[in-house]
Amino acid sequence: MFRSLLLALLRFLVLMLVAGLAGATLVRVAPGFSSDAQELTPGLSSESIQAIRQARLADSNVPQFYLHYLNGLLHGNLGTSQSLNEPVLDLLRDRLPVSLRSLALALLVAWSVGLALAVGAFRVRSRWFVAAADSSGGAFISTPAAVLALVFLMMRWPPVLAVGLLVFPKIYRYSRNLMEECLELPHIVVARAKGVGPWRLLSWHVVPIAIPQLIALVGVSISLGLGALLPVEVFCDLHGIGQLAWTAAQSRDLPLLVNLTFVVSCLTIGAIMCCDQLRRLAGREATA
Amino acid sequence: MKMLHKIAIAVLLSAALASVLARYIAPAGYEQQFRDEAQARPSIHHLLGTDDLGRDRFARVVYGMRVSLFLAPLAALLSTILAAAVGGIAGFCGGWVERVVMGATDLFLALPWLFLLITVRAVLPLNLSPVASVIITFALLGMLGWAPAARVICAGARQALQSDFVWSARARGCGGLRLIRVHLLPSLRPALAAQFFLSIPVFIIAEANLGALGLGVSEPLPSLGGLVCELQDFVMLRPEPWRLAPLVVLIVVIGAFQVLLSKQEVQA
Repeated sequence: MFRSLLLALLRFLVLMLVAGLAGATLVRVAPGFSSDAQELTPGLSSESIQAIRQARLADSNVPQFYLHYLNGLLHGNLGTSQSLNEPVLDLLRDRLPVSLRSLALALLVAWSVGLALAVGAFRVRSRWFVAAADSSGGAFISTPAAVLALVFLMMRWPPVLAVGLLVFPKIYRYSRNLMEECLELPHIVVARAKGVGPWRLLSWHVVPIAIPQLIALVGVSISLGLGALLPVEVFCDLHGIGQLAWTAAQSRDLPLLVNLTFVVSCLTIGAIMCCDQLRRLAGREATA
Repeated sequence: MKMLHKIAIAVLLSAALASVLARYIAPAGYEQQFRDEAQARPSIHHLLGTDDLGRDRFARVVYGMRVSLFLAPLAALLSTILAAAVGGIAGFCGGWVERVVMGATDLFLALPWLFLLITVRAVLPLNLSPVASVIITFALLGMLGWAPAARVICAGARQALQSDFVWSARARGCGGLRLIRVHLLPSLRPALAAQFFLSIPVFIIAEANLGALGLGVSEPLPSLGGLVCELQDFVMLRPEPWRLAPLVVLIVVIGAFQVLLSKQEVQA
């Protein structure tokens, strides 16, 4: 148990180092790295433009840029945002709690709706119920997050609900398929043949088998939720890290973008790994 | 359900046909301005009216559909080729190669790729031409969307390598590239096709999100995402509901894909 936790932690650290390097390399090799929007500011002297180019050249060597970045990270210094002229750490301290709160509420909505529909489809077993649940899921999957955010803004509905509705179809589909698969297991077929009721079947036979896989889905839903949160924060003016990333992208603020990618990677990979550990634990319990 | 599938196929075929015949269907080019008729209401000349710059909305929707419907499959092809290469190599080699490659795939899977997309899209040159912007946007989508498919392909390759026909081919001295070309690839073809088709709506939606955030295809070239961006002026939507046309087209096209692909998604 302790060894597996240690290995997971080690894997997390290696993945984070690779993620940071990949992010830095990706930004560095992207065409246009050497051009800067600041250069287009009217009224800048040729010396100022030259100074901006020099500052950018200092970051052009990827390993050097990354080592410099890691060193700062170890000392709690994530650099300064070029566009907002504030320490990145302060910006993250302000914005991250907003996004995490929104994400938690959105996932609560997504899981409640997704699981309720999946259980409903399992319990009711009506073709119409399944068709209605499938179509509502399909409608939200087919709608871009930005559009749903605009609709919610127009209707003055809570934006968090939009994120929840964008994530729930995946949870519904996965959990419903999982339950359908469970129904074909021999011991469940026997239980059904013996006349075990649907609720008892669900709570005693299906849930213990489905729980480990549903725990793994929690990690994936965090990643999905963060992706959906970005446009919602932008359009609904929520001051979270999604809006910050968009502002940074608009003003081509490299230090802020790299840090945000790194933080988001930390969050999602950490969450997925935690869920993976829990899934293994739950799997062991279920087999025991 | 069969009826729904037929409707979905008809919708996609009509959309593809309209995109191919955009030049003949649209009353004007997507960038042609009717300066005296800016913000015109729908009429016989302009079926969906004109935008703020006097461009025909219907023409822009038809041309926008062409951009999204033709480039999303190309991006899907790129991501499927990458997935086949990465997943195939991992599955074929096994051992530490598989562990390392699948670790990298897990990393890609864990990242919310809208963050990654806007990061990379944001550092593109400022003076990018519209055609270059559309190609780069979809190429980025293709290059960042290979991870889920690579996992499936890797699992498929491992399964195929354990099958009787591969054992028998190996026993007859078949190995290396010939084994991949003659035995592995044909057995992976259904999985690759499923991943290809599943990626298309995902990329159309990703482009729509990027476009709505102002980081998609550059003006004046229209794409469904870019046209959806105009909906931000939502005060005008109630008096001018025809502005919603690009959104309706987008939802109908993606919905048609969802209807056709729901079973494949479950299997994948």
